[in-house]
Amino acid sequence: MTALTVLYDGSCALCLRCRDFLAEHAAYVPIELLSCQSADARARFGAVPWLGEELIVVSNDGDVWVGSAAFIMCLWALVDYRDWSYRLSGPELAPLAQRFFNALSSRRKSVARFFGPLRCEEGMFCTVSPLARDHGNQHRPQRTYR
Amino acid sequence: MDPVVAEAAQTTLLVPVYIAYAVITLTLTIWLARTLFKNGAVFLEDVFKDTPKMAEAVNRLLVVGFYLMNLGYAALLMKASGATTAVQAAEVLAWKLGGLLISLGVMHFTNMYLFYRIRRRARAAVLPPPVMPQMRLPNGAPYGAQQYYAQPAYEAPAPQGA
Repeated sequence: MTALTVLYDGSCALCLRCRDFLAEHAAYVPIELLSCQSADARARFGAVPWLGEELIVVSNDGDVWVGSAAFIMCLWALVDYRDWSYRLSGPELAPLAQRFFNALSSRRKSVARFFGPLRCEEGMFCTVSPLARDHGNQHRPQRTYR
Repeated sequence: MDPVVAEAAQTTLLVPVYIAYAVITLTLTIWLARTLFKNGAVFLEDVFKDTPKMAEAVNRLLVVGFYLMNLGYAALLMKASGATTAVQAAEVLAWKLGGLLISLGVMHFTNMYLFYRIRRRARAAVLPPPVMPQMRLPNGAPYGAQQYYAQPAYEAPAPQGA
């Protein structure tokens, strides 16, 4: 595996924050961030039955991670959080982490309210934050934002 | 007693204490630094496999820091207030060496932790994904084996359309 595509919910403020978090942190593999509402996502990943419902991570080899496993894969891709991906998928913490990620995913619209407004139009795919553009990781050139 | 004579009586025994302290400190620091250099090289060679020069440089810089910290701290610790009897002199020396050894121990474990951190970072870069994928798109190239993944798959929620 040499690259990951993250399919997030572009209509959810929490997901946009998480996407910016992914963009701002150094990663081991190039990450393509794609809103699941985009035409590109529907054309390329229409075969994934969870598209639009759950967080989806697709590797360049065609492996698909869904829901809590996709959260784990996002952590795994980041230099600072790879050890956490192992911790959270170990036998002790996996059940707890899985429940947490599932709960977070299903309540993503209400959780977003705790974080205050994003500086972009409601229902739009926000442009990537200035921070991500200036301090992006070593794989930034390969990333695309739609 | 004349104050000058009294001070002389207090400090004459300090000279051998200082000499012993300096000799033991120098020997210990050099021995520890060499141990660190020799064994740290093994760790660093593993981390910087493709750049052995880098490994050597990092190792040397760590040892220089170790020398500076230890000798500086040992120098600060040297001054003693006084010792009139041989017993007192021995006690002063023991107290100082004890303090120094404990600080050397702390430094040594800090260094070992640094090596561990450097090595762990390097190993993390090649670790496989911890969870198995839930599905595979047909156009994707397959992996060699399922054992590639360290942990079993997380459960995927049922898609709403199904």
